[in-house]
Formats: sequence, structure tokens, C-alpha cells
Amino acid sequence: MSAQQDALERQSQLSFWTLIERLGRPVTNTFAYTWQVWLMIYLSFRAAFYDQAQGLRTVFGVVSAQIYFTGWQAMPLITVLALATGGIIILQSSLQLSLIGGASMIGNLLIVVVVREVGPLITALIVIARSGTAVASEIGNMRVNREIEALETMGINPLSYIVFPRILGGVISVLCLAFYFNVIALTGGFMVARFIKEIPFSFYMDSLAQAIAIEDVGLFFLKNGFSGFIIFVVACYQGLLVKQSPHEVPQVTTKAVVNSIIYVTTFNLAVTTLWYLNQLMRLGLVQ
Amino acid sequence: MSGVLFDGFKRLRFENACFAYEAGSQPIFDDLTCDLPLGKNIFVAGQSGSGQSTFLKLLAVLVQPQSGHYYINDLDTTEMSFEEFLPIRLKIGYSFDFGGLIANRTLQENLILPLLYHKICAEEEAIERARKLAEHFSFVRQEHKRPAMVSGGLRKLICVLRAFILNPEMVVLDDPFTGVGADISRKIVRMIQERREAGDLKHVFLVSREETWVRELNCETLLISRNAVRYQEERAAS
Repeated sequence: MSAQQDALERQSQLSFWTLIERLGRPVTNTFAYTWQVWLMIYLSFRAAFYDQAQGLRTVFGVVSAQIYFTGWQAMPLITVLALATGGIIILQSSLQLSLIGGASMIGNLLIVVVVREVGPLITALIVIARSGTAVASEIGNMRVNREIEALETMGINPLSYIVFPRILGGVISVLCLAFYFNVIALTGGFMVARFIKEIPFSFYMDSLAQAIAIEDVGLFFLKNGFSGFIIFVVACYQGLLVKQSPHEVPQVTTKAVVNSIIYVTTFNLAVTTLWYLNQLMRLGLVQ
Repeated sequence: MSGVLFDGFKRLRFENACFAYEAGSQPIFDDLTCDLPLGKNIFVAGQSGSGQSTFLKLLAVLVQPQSGHYYINDLDTTEMSFEEFLPIRLKIGYSFDFGGLIANRTLQENLILPLLYHKICAEEEAIERARKLAEHFSFVRQEHKRPAMVSGGLRKLICVLRAFILNPEMVVLDDPFTGVGADISRKIVRMIQERREAGDLKHVFLVSREETWVRELNCETLLISRNAVRYQEERAAS
């Protein structure tokens, strides 16, 4: 009887520690992942700074290629999505707008929804789908083909030659794409507003000008800049995780996409939450 | 952050070096302590799977021992950053047993990349050097093609030639003759001998399955195992 009780007690203790371990492992894994990613960022920026041989021309070559693939080639897709987004928002809100203040609210609505929220998120998702996957699989394949090691044998630091320019080019591309998305979405919004409500261009522009604030510029750079940073850092890191085998490449690419989406959306949510808390505090609604 | 002052290889020494590719897996080298012979053509031999390629990578500091040390002269390479090690790195030429070419560059661009990156010479001169190699090794028609568009043998050759492009003092060649053909292998051997005679090249370490060319190079044998290295001064495979 007592042996049975001992066994039960041991089992319950065991399951308690197993539970703690199961809960703790994802936490420690996340910390380890974050630490390694920051280490890669530090080393790549440090390498780019200290690299005596790597001239601006080399960096510029890789950065411009990255901007071409990530920014320029994504523009047709961004155009379609931005036009549709702006148009849909105006279409869906036209009835509600007439209830809360009519067409004069159109600028506020577009700035809040497009510039602050949807623009950064859709741009980031497109860049993740197009370029995050491309960068992760490209670097993964470079690892498999021993190109990374080959660069080292030639005295070229892979972190300054591969990682740093991709992050820099990626951030610039995302900022440009987000700006382009906003312009096209606002144009799409105007086209639909003009069509269904016959709003004149000057009225539309006045409405936008009154709605936009200087903080929106900061928010634009914060959200889009960091989203680009997160996407390309995660893609580069996942690509470099490939050890030897080609079968690892699709695995790290999928991981890069999943992690980027999680981090980018979480970051956007956090910034938006802090932004609106700050606004509420300024209005005196929250102490 | 500048590199160390380096005036040639005077001593290569492993001290209690342990290496495994995966943490917790069977180590390839365990507590390896040895001095390596310099100034010779060394054929690194061992049983299949005994880690000859890994040994070459350790030698060229492409991988680091997880514990222990690898000294070049009196410098502990395990303690050095990439930038500090760079002057030594540029004195080591390394060629892979497969892969190792930059996929989005042509064969010529692969050859001249280190010359241009380290600003060793002007672009025209680098291209001229690559053109001479292409003529000598008969790949002029393919020099503007990317690695995926040429044969495996030619890829291997370019990788070997790139190891020599910076006039290194030491070359580490992983199976350089397999798949390149007898004529090209003969030319590679001749190139090694000429560079030795010219005094540029002083130390050669190679792994090869082609005994003919190992004999041709008058290699001496370094027999490696998990925790020991045995140097045989008699000529390899003779």
C-alpha cells in the first residue's frame, strides 16, 4: 500500500516537473533564439563597420540589387493591393461615414486605417511572402553549396558581405514600398470617393491634410522601418541555420515566414497599443 | 580593428583539440595534439570517414575546435576575430571537394572576386590574370558562364585555381584531381611545382583519391586518426 502511494507521489512529482519543463522550454528557446538573432545583427554591423576591404561600391552593389528585387519588382503587386485597399475602405465606410459626420471624415478614416495600420501590415506581409522567403532560401542554398565557406576562404566576411547589405536594402525597400502603398491606396480611395460621392479633389486633399499629424511620420518610419528590419534579420538568420543538406532549405524558409509574420504583427500591435494609450493619456481619458 | 602582423608560417600546432559537427555526437577529433610539418607537400591520409576533409578545414581555420587550441606560429586562432585573422587568411588558399563557387557569378568573376574585393590589383589586371588562366587551362569559351552551366570537373578546376589566385604561401586542397581529367591534373601539378620553385608557395596540404598525382607531387604522408597524427617522411604511395 505504502509502495503504491510512493509510486503515485513520485509520478505526480514527475508529471509536475515535466509540466514545468514543457512550459519552460518554449520560453528558454525563445530567449535563446532572440539572443542569437541579436548576436548576428551585432556581428554583421560590426563586421561591416570594421571591414577595411569592403568598399562602399561592394555594399552599394548588393544593397541596390536587394532594393531592385524587394522594392521595384514588388510594385505591380503593391499597386493592385493598394488600389483595392483604398477603394474597399471607402466603399465599405461610405454608409457609416454619412452617420458620423459625412464626407469630412474621409481623411481621418484613410489616415487611421491605411497609413497607420493597414499600409505597414500589408506591405510587410507582401515583403515576407516575396523577399523573406527568397532571402532565406537563397542564403540556405548558399550554405548548402558552400558559398558561405568559400567567401570565408577568400577573406570575405559573410556577415558583412551577405547579411548587412540585405538588411539595409530590405529596410530601405520596405520604407519605399510602404510610402508607395500609402500614396496608391489614398489615390484608390479618392477614385472611389469621386465615383460614388462626387467629392472634389481639393476637398479630398484638405481632408487628408487636416487628418495627418507630424506623429504619423514618426509612426510610419517606426512601423515600416522595424518591420523591414525584422523580416530581413529573421530571413538571414534562418538561412544561415542551414547546416549541410538541401532538405533543410524549405524548412528554414517556412520558419522564416512564420516567425516574421508573428514578430511583425506583434510589433505592429504593440506600437499601435502604445500609440493609442499615449493619445488617450494626452486627452486625459487615461491617467 | 586591424589584423595581426604576419610574416609567414613558422609553426602549426594543434593542442588538445576536440571537434564534432553536432554537440553531443561522436567527436571526429578528440584531444588531438600535434605539430604539423611545414615546407613540404603533405598528403593527408586516413581511413574512410576518419575526417580528412574536416582536418583540412581545421587547418585552414574554416571550422574551430570546440575545445583545445590551434596555433599558427604563436597565435591562438581560436581566440582571433575574423578581422584579426584576415592577414593570415589571405596567405591560405583553400579548395573544396565539391561546391564552393558563388552561384550568381560567372567563372571569371569567381576567379577575380578575391583580387577585386581586397583591391590587390585593378579590374583590368584581374581580368587579364583570369584570362591567362582560362587560356592555360582551356576554358576560354566557358569563362563567362555561371557555375551551374558548366561541368562538375570545370567547377572543381575553378575552385582549385581560385585557391591560388592570391599567391598564397600555403594551399589546402580537398581532393583537387577527382573529375578534372588527366591533362588538367597534370597542369595543376605543374602549377604547384612552378609556384614552389618561384618561392611563392611553401606549404601544401592535400587530400586526394588520385594516387598518381600525389606521387607526382612527391608528397609525404600525414596519417590522421581521431586523436593522433602520424607523420611519415617516406614518399606517399611509393
